[in-house]
Amino acid sequence: MKEASDDELVAAVAKGDGAACSLLMERHLGRTVALARRMMGNQADAEEVAQEVFLRVWTHAERWEPGRAQFSTWLHRVATNLCLDRLRRRRGTVDIDDMPDLVSEEPGPDRRLEADELAARVEAALQQLPERQRAAIALSHYQGLSNTETAEILAVSVEAVESLLSRGRRQLRSLLATERDELLRLKETSA
Amino acid sequence: MDKEITLERFAAIVDAYGASPERWPAPERSAADALLAASAPARALLAEARMLDGLLAAAPLEAPSDALVERLMAARPRALAALAPAAKPRGLFRELVDAIWPYGSPALPTGALAASIMLGVALGSVSEISVLNGSATATAAAETETGDRLISLALADVTWPEEWIQ
Repeated sequence: MKEASDDELVAAVAKGDGAACSLLMERHLGRTVALARRMMGNQADAEEVAQEVFLRVWTHAERWEPGRAQFSTWLHRVATNLCLDRLRRRRGTVDIDDMPDLVSEEPGPDRRLEADELAARVEAALQQLPERQRAAIALSHYQGLSNTETAEILAVSVEAVESLLSRGRRQLRSLLATERDELLRLKETSA
Repeated sequence: MDKEITLERFAAIVDAYGASPERWPAPERSAADALLAASAPARALLAEARMLDGLLAAAPLEAPSDALVERLMAARPRALAALAPAAKPRGLFRELVDAIWPYGSPALPTGALAASIMLGVALGSVSEISVLNGSATATAAAETETGDRLISLALADVTWPEEWIQ
């Protein structure tokens, strides 16, 4: 069972094989939650998205056509679309005071950036990106998908993916300028 | 030999994909590596991109919770099937009937046809337009009892008028 392909596991899932369900989650649930986390900015929403993705796998397993598409790409596509839908709905109701604020949490010059704080600030910076730039960075940079796969999932050209990535990284560089300087200081003092 | 790339293109690549060659577009990877080895400005661009990569790597990452895994296992296809009412076991005779008549047994339409024939014949016999003549062999003995009459009419060896057959 451990050596089974994703297609074989999905076929076993359709027959109600609990071990196949477990193995499929072992392979893909963590990555699905990670993608949703980059998109949604918090673990609770990320797990809700991942749950919806896998419920769709359970529901549609019977109709899965082996070889027609790569299972992991399909998962990324479903997860990305669910995140984008939720973010669009959230955009209509979000309170401006709930937005991540990088400036108010800026560390003092004499204070080292703690790991947890840096993590929170990087996540906040990602949340400030336009959704499609964030999706491109989540898929390409964090999930390690090729530019072709990312383009397929976002339904754009490879050139458009490259443009989304460039603009996203440029904005992140600007948003995280303070953290970058702090990181440089840390490196210099530890050298 | 791979096609060479310009410093401008190299800058665009690291600007979009960062400092790790495994994230670069596969067709340009070796040309970008070659430029990197030969160009100090390319190495400076790479160092700058690596700095941002380092920051991005600090983004929080949590494993899926046990509760999520449990919820999904509880909702897996077998668990859903168990919630649905189980079909009653079918006997061997019923399976055999279904195998012979997959669209249902013909007993019901056949019975309905027989009943309608019997009713039609009975109605005809009690009315004035009865087509049965007195020479019918089985009808005479059963004229008083309606039930017996219906049965005997249905079973009678009736001689049908010639014109009915034509």
